[in-house]
Amino acid sequence: MEYKIEKKSAPGRDEVEVLGATYEEGKPEGEELGKWRQKLRDRNEKLKYLQTGERYWYGKDWYGSEKRKNPA
Amino acid sequence: MAEAETKSIDNASIKMIDKAASDGVNTAFDRAETKKPCPIGVEGSCCKHCGMGPCRVPPPKGRQETPEEKQKRRGVCGATAETIAARNFIRMIAGGAAAHSDHGRGVAEVFLAVAKGEAPGYEIKDEQKLLQLALDWGVDIGDRSNQEIAINIGEIALAEFGKQEGQVLFLNRAPLKRQELWRREGAAPRGIDREIVEIMHRTHIGVDQDYRNLLRQGVRASIADGWGGSMIATELQDIIFGTPAPVLGRINLGVLSRDEVNLIIHGHEPLLSEMVVVAAQDPEMIALAKSKGANGINIAGMCCTANEILMRHGIPLAGNFLQQELAIVTGAVEAMVVDVQCIMQSLTAVAECYHTKIITTSPKAKIPGAIHIQFDEHNAMESARAIVKTAIENFPNRGSNIDIPKEQTDLVAGFSHETINYLLGGIYRASYRPLNDNIINGRIRGVAGVVGCNNARVKHNEAHTTMVKELIKNDVLVLQTGCSAIASAEAGLMTPEAASKYAGEGLASVCEAVGIPPVLHLGSCVDNSRILIAATAMVKEGGLGDDISELPVAGAAPEWMSEKAISIGQYFVGSGVFTVFGVNWPTLDSEEVSKYLFEDFEAIYGGMWAFEPDPIKAAHLMIDHIDKKRQALGIDKARERVLFDMAMRRELEGA
Ligand code: SF4
Repeated sequence: MEYKIEKKSAPGRDEVEVLGATYEEGKPEGEELGKWRQKLRDRNEKLKYLQTGERYWYGKDWYGSEKRKNPA
Repeated sequence: MAEAETKSIDNASIKMIDKAASDGVNTAFDRAETKKPCPIGVEGSCCKHCGMGPCRVPPPKGRQETPEEKQKRRGVCGATAETIAARNFIRMIAGGAAAHSDHGRGVAEVFLAVAKGEAPGYEIKDEQKLLQLALDWGVDIGDRSNQEIAINIGEIALAEFGKQEGQVLFLNRAPLKRQELWRREGAAPRGIDREIVEIMHRTHIGVDQDYRNLLRQGVRASIADGWGGSMIATELQDIIFGTPAPVLGRINLGVLSRDEVNLIIHGHEPLLSEMVVVAAQDPEMIALAKSKGANGINIAGMCCTANEILMRHGIPLAGNFLQQELAIVTGAVEAMVVDVQCIMQSLTAVAECYHTKIITTSPKAKIPGAIHIQFDEHNAMESARAIVKTAIENFPNRGSNIDIPKEQTDLVAGFSHETINYLLGGIYRASYRPLNDNIINGRIRGVAGVVGCNNARVKHNEAHTTMVKELIKNDVLVLQTGCSAIASAEAGLMTPEAASKYAGEGLASVCEAVGIPPVLHLGSCVDNSRILIAATAMVKEGGLGDDISELPVAGAAPEWMSEKAISIGQYFVGSGVFTVFGVNWPTLDSEEVSKYLFEDFEAIYGGMWAFEPDPIKAAHLMIDHIDKKRQALGIDKARERVLFDMAMRRELEGA
């Protein structure tokens, strides 16, 4: 996802850049409701998700209980 | 109590059983009354594997048999009661594994056609799952198109069925310890078809006559089902139809509509039903329905096809196995389209009393008296439109004898492994950690898979709902598929609100925090493979042992009836899960075979069978097993602390 950077004035300083909201505005409706997989937009994001979200099978540097005993 | 109330716990079904009686319609509920099960066959003591039989070898009833009697208890060929019971049992596994796997093969064939652009109307909907399978099976990803990758995946999937050596590829997804165990015990299937064929060979007269060796082959074939054919079906369906995500649905006969064309899709494979759903939304079809006096087209599912389209689209679900005839009895169903598995031949006889048209679609499953509209995946939309049109044109033929029960219940479905992982951890840190942590800290006592059929020998839906309520009351999170899931949904157990109403305090608190029901719908009967993956994720996350057999989990099919259920139960057991079946047990006449399945299996596979027809007692067998596993993991104390805290809280509140 793309991060939104917002400018805010900080006490004792000039404007600073902070990370904006990371949630999507509005409410999903109909068929979209509950569907989250399409949020991953391109192949790289999907492969990255597999390595992190599904790290039990596809992670490279995940050390679950099995991998401690059987290092790759 | 009125007669119908002894047959089902579901009010909609009770009303339709009564209506069937007053309409003079004979249903499975009536036939179960008049047709008693053969007492010898039901306990596995009848063999008809050759022309010298059938041989019936039951033990004497009401007394211990003498060693001489036992010695003589054989078929003409000399087969002992143990051999006969084990042969019958694993032939059931072969039947079940064949059904699931042939479904998987059908999906793989369509999948390959989709990849090659030869199946218009279908597409690759879930690229991520495609990539996942590519990683699983070592298919090059690079910059290749989805189609190119999918062709490789489809070819590998199809080859899994006819493979002669090595091992079924998805076995690699299982915990490492389990994989080693399967290889050590000779239970790792080589190819899917091979193990099923080998059962048919080994159970032929005069081949394998050691019940332990027969049962080992049963395990191997069942694993070829759960970790093979069924898993292939689930995964490839996810790629072409989308991986399920939480979706709201409605369930029970009340989803039928008084003023719309009602088309019920019944059976197991989503290949056709997905297309029928699309065809029914076509403005041309809706206009045609209106021209016939209907307000629109209402698609509703039945059995596992229903679970498939509910999980992915929220299409209403009319009922489970024992409700298929009752749907027609409403008098409001224009057409029931069926594909394969669990379709009663009596549907055509029931339909004769109303205006309903029964439409068969598979060349593998025809029924005399039904219309046959062959489903051709290369021209799927045309087949789907022909079916929808047949239903619409039948609308004017509706009689006046219509009674649609008002009962319908809301549910949330769509809990694939991927969604559970996501819901527990979010998109950036998807994880089973919260589940494992809550099991370790004792809020969740354990996890149960409650699955399987309806069985006309017991009160419809009663055992499912009684068992599930007892489990969640005792803080056991329940994962469900098939007709069992439908039963719980009809009883209102699949909404988030069910947590505060029915679940124990610990489980309820977790469900409320995550926003999930205490009973999760994982899909159709091939989707039991999702339960295997969820269990594996729990192992791999860490903290609950190194194998599925160490997890505080259990399985059950309290109203089982099909051979598929036996195959499912066997691959649960073969994967290390303690699994309880209700109704009856097909090896009871052989003490040795039953003991081997109920006790000795544990030392070999870490999981074992149990038989207990009382759903409360069965739930407590599961809970006891879960507690035994908690103790072995050293996490039993944590749960005691949680309970102590709650008791103290109550005391304080009461003071
Ligand atoms: S195979 Fe043996 S036990 Fe079975 S029917 Fe033939 S003779 Fe009887």
